[in-house]
Amino acid sequence: MHPAAWLALGVFALAYVVIASEKLNRAAVALTGGAAMVVIGATRGDAMFFSPETGIDWNVIFLLFGMMILVGILKQTGVFEFVAIWSAQRARARPFRMMVMLVLITALASALLDNVTTVLLIAPVTLLLCDRMGLAPIPFLLAEAMASNIGGTATLIGDPPNIIIASRAGLSFNDFLIHLAPIVVVLVAVFVGLCWLLWGRHFTHDPERAAAVLALTPRETITNRRLLWQMLAILALVLLGFLTHSLTHLEPSVISMIGAGLAIVVSRLDPEDYLQDVEWETLLFFAGLFIMVGSLVHQGVITQLADALTTAIGTNYHVAAQGILVGSAVLSGIIDNIPYVATMAPLVHDLVGPAPGLPPGQQSLWWVLALGADLGGNATAIGASANVVICGIAKRNGHPISFWEFTKYGLIVTAVTILCTIPYVSLRYFILP
Amino acid sequence: MRAEELLEQVPIVHRETTGAEAARVVAEFRLTGLVVADDQDAPIAVIPGTQLLSVVLPQYVRDDPKLAHAFDERAADDLCRKLNTVTIGELLDAKRLKAAQVPSVLPEDTLIEIATVMDQGHSPVVLVRERDQSYRGVVTMSRVLAAIATAAGQDSDLVRRRLQRDIIERGRSGVLTQPDPPEPAAAGASDAPVVGD
Repeated sequence: MHPAAWLALGVFALAYVVIASEKLNRAAVALTGGAAMVVIGATRGDAMFFSPETGIDWNVIFLLFGMMILVGILKQTGVFEFVAIWSAQRARARPFRMMVMLVLITALASALLDNVTTVLLIAPVTLLLCDRMGLAPIPFLLAEAMASNIGGTATLIGDPPNIIIASRAGLSFNDFLIHLAPIVVVLVAVFVGLCWLLWGRHFTHDPERAAAVLALTPRETITNRRLLWQMLAILALVLLGFLTHSLTHLEPSVISMIGAGLAIVVSRLDPEDYLQDVEWETLLFFAGLFIMVGSLVHQGVITQLADALTTAIGTNYHVAAQGILVGSAVLSGIIDNIPYVATMAPLVHDLVGPAPGLPPGQQSLWWVLALGADLGGNATAIGASANVVICGIAKRNGHPISFWEFTKYGLIVTAVTILCTIPYVSLRYFILP
Repeated sequence: MRAEELLEQVPIVHRETTGAEAARVVAEFRLTGLVVADDQDAPIAVIPGTQLLSVVLPQYVRDDPKLAHAFDERAADDLCRKLNTVTIGELLDAKRLKAAQVPSVLPEDTLIEIATVMDQGHSPVVLVRERDQSYRGVVTMSRVLAAIATAAGQDSDLVRRRLQRDIIERGRSGVLTQPDPPEPAAAGASDAPVVGD
């Protein structure tokens, strides 16, 4: 490698270490890293802003941006609070049934929304339900963080790593539904069983306490019925847009921006209301990451790495797939899965190319990257953004979750879900393709 | 007028005062803020009244205000009763209450000096301390405004009464509360000095 490539690798490694240490704001680190890449000559303005291979992936940024606006407006209706309380009442406020309902709602919502948004919406209402029932909320919050990471794995829009993978690999919303949703359904069922073993069997039912939950008035939480119906219609249209990508050829980012625009028009909300849920820091973090990874691509570092891996793998994609699955799960538990996937996606792209048209064995590398990174996020308290958010909410409400408390359950859940995924990958892509 | 002519005594609470007792003191004396004092009854901080309201609300309701609609009357009463189980000290330590440091003036400071300190500190109350830092009382914004109104020719019986009687005295005389003298401010709360409306 030439000196500029080594310098770029040094800047990247340093930024990665600082991001992983969580000592500094991650967006600031990623943007500083991106600026450093420009200063050392590892990238240029046109490569940063206009190149799909080496620049900021605007599809990812605008898909996230549009979905954040949509969720921000939907949040104003109170529908999430209604569904959570209603489902707890449907479970007759029996603790384990309530946990199952909340896990299912979280997993389903995470498949359609960003994981962080989902846990931000579900955690306060969970605390309310546990408070009324006199239950310790930590098992419920842990279960929800993990359910959001599992559920988010199912779709293109469910987890930010999937958005990056879809954009790099050229995968559609339907591809994710076909390849990942079936195993996620199985994993959610397995996770419910784990919830029983880890927490549910220790719960006791108190009819008097349960009455306090049954007395809650979920309908009152819906503050704007008109907006609720409008937003449900717009979300249905957005979903339809994702599903009909093969006919319309509209990018997911375009569909989400059209949906966001429509929601802004019909909701008539002020900009400060619909923009308050846009996580600008996350968007800037993505932009900085893309510049840094793009610089490595621009300098040929990724290609050289891919060449070395190609030599090592040869044609043994089965071993490579299982290796990436387990390796991604382990690494995603240690570092944030977003920078990990942002780095790995161009590497896999150089290894096997875009996903459409690839034989199942080679295409599996894209799917195991998504499965490993998304499910591995459950391993530790810092493995995924949703975990960090849940721990923050728990602490603010007087129920701190230590790193090790999260990790002791997270490792079990990650190990079991990855063990369930290994045979799925073997059967689906190599034994019964 | 000078600070020593405007200073008055208002109820104070201590770290051991429960949230419910603090709420009662604020209600009885129609206070806009609550002065927290140390063991020697020396004021250490002021808590705005609105923060006391927020203490009733669980953090999860503050995170998601729509959940407030889900509470029935019984559930709401349960929340209020929880105020009996937490003390002001615990709420301060848990950062559920954020106490503001109170600016102070000297007894000989003038109306303009007091108004300037209040304006600079965005505080509706200032402590009056001697040069040796010993505590004398507080000057409240309403008393400063009463003095300003008088100086500007907007005198009235109520304005005069506001200048003549301090918060505790007015409470005892029935201007603010019932005609009968109240019990000493509250259990855990002393009627020694400090904040008013």
